[in-house]
Amino acid sequence: MSLLRSATGFLALTRSLGAPPTVQTRRHIKRWVSPTLRELAHRQKKLGPQKPEPRSGFVEWNQRSELFAFGKRLGESFEMALLQRAFTERSFAQREEEKRRKLGIEEADLQMTDNSDLAKKGQVIARAYVEAFLQHQLPKVPKEGLQAIASYLLSTNTLAHVSTHLGTKDLIHSTEYPPSAESLAQSLQAVIGALADSSGVERAFLFVRDFICTQLNQKDLLDVWTPEEPLQLLEKICQERKLGEAEPRLIGDCGKNTVLAAYQVGIYANRQLLGKGFGEDLRTATETAAIDALQSLFDTHDNRRPFDFGVQLETKNVRLG
Amino acid sequence: MSNSHLFMKSGFPRAPLQNGLGRYVCQLQRITLKFCKNNGSSRGMRDFIENHLVDFAKENPGIVVYVKPRRHRTPVLVGEYLNGDREWLNCRNNTQEEISKWIDLLKTQNGSSSSLRLRKMWHTDVPSIQGPWTPFLLRSPETQGQVYPNTEASKPLETPQSATEKLIELFRQQQLEAGEEAHDLLSKKRAE
Repeated sequence: MSLLRSATGFLALTRSLGAPPTVQTRRHIKRWVSPTLRELAHRQKKLGPQKPEPRSGFVEWNQRSELFAFGKRLGESFEMALLQRAFTERSFAQREEEKRRKLGIEEADLQMTDNSDLAKKGQVIARAYVEAFLQHQLPKVPKEGLQAIASYLLSTNTLAHVSTHLGTKDLIHSTEYPPSAESLAQSLQAVIGALADSSGVERAFLFVRDFICTQLNQKDLLDVWTPEEPLQLLEKICQERKLGEAEPRLIGDCGKNTVLAAYQVGIYANRQLLGKGFGEDLRTATETAAIDALQSLFDTHDNRRPFDFGVQLETKNVRLG
Repeated sequence: MSNSHLFMKSGFPRAPLQNGLGRYVCQLQRITLKFCKNNGSSRGMRDFIENHLVDFAKENPGIVVYVKPRRHRTPVLVGEYLNGDREWLNCRNNTQEEISKWIDLLKTQNGSSSSLRLRKMWHTDVPSIQGPWTPFLLRSPETQGQVYPNTEASKPLETPQSATEKLIELFRQQQLEAGEEAHDLLSKKRAE
């Protein structure tokens, strides 16, 4: 093939020698393109799947503008230095210090602050506000239920979810990319801390309400918190509220001693039906009935009034521990 | 929907992070305008940058704007969203008004809408309001205290008339009619 090509090239050369010298109109087929692309593809395949490139490494990246836009996007005003600190991970700061030390920069200058203290502060604020919010919105739920819901809202996964959707992923200075769920959650807490430092704790409370508490919207509270021993809890609650003794009674059964047996149990107290449930045997039916009764006692049914996310809690009601 | 849409990311139109419930957050986080400084196809983009870009950036401080000149290439808009989506738009030979409209579109959507296939035209988080069906749901009150086996309750709800029953009914009717006629005859004769 190459012989043929050189032959045609030679022919063209002789023709151009014979013809008057004009602009050369001969067009090559670029025969290097396909093998090069193939080789590149082969090498890429041999390398295997690669980690995504951090966005901050691109040419079009300006950390200062990004930080400014982050605050404006959320409708908050941050102090730039605090925000920058909120996005600096401890491991990253340590690595930078190590680098500087190797370069021989003096110890006095080795001051790279990280977000751990801001995160601690933000964590306290978030927990205090979420607890106060739940206390206000779910007044009938006992303490352990509120704690379970609060710990769901403040869990690493929920916080990381909120954090990624606020666009912190590209801003975090971390040793790994994409940042782990822990560092995402920690940076969100640090942002809350930085907000409290820059524009006051009230703004930080509103931030927690608007971005963390709203995660409860349309959430089945039974998924978040299911009491382990519902019947015992129900008995305890009935004693506390003086409703009389809770008594499970069989309301209906169907298909006894068959594979498709179904039982319906109602829970009564003082001749009042508290709740009913069904199941494939008496134990599960009693349990579901107890859960149903608890749901109506705690006002956590699916069809309850939706949460009011516009509520303004007074700062003195939020206990910063 | 064509076959090429089958491998697209599919989903439902959702507001990310309950957006708008607490406060509204513009989901476009940064936009990059790429253009050529002397090519004619970038004319509209250059006009937009000259006349409207500063106003746009002032009105939307939450969107980071990058401008990237490059030689002899088509003008391009790249939008990046908070959910990690990246949308690339070719703006070859577009006028500045068209570019304004495209940027407005990028600003108001919450992800790359052109790369999402709608799985269905409707969606609900709660498919059933009344919960799972049980034999006890909507039960009639009469069945409450019934003792089984019960002949009345064991019958089918509707039994069609059998051929024998039909025949018997016809025979009875005939007899009745005949009886009436005989009755009429008798009464006439008595009257005579």
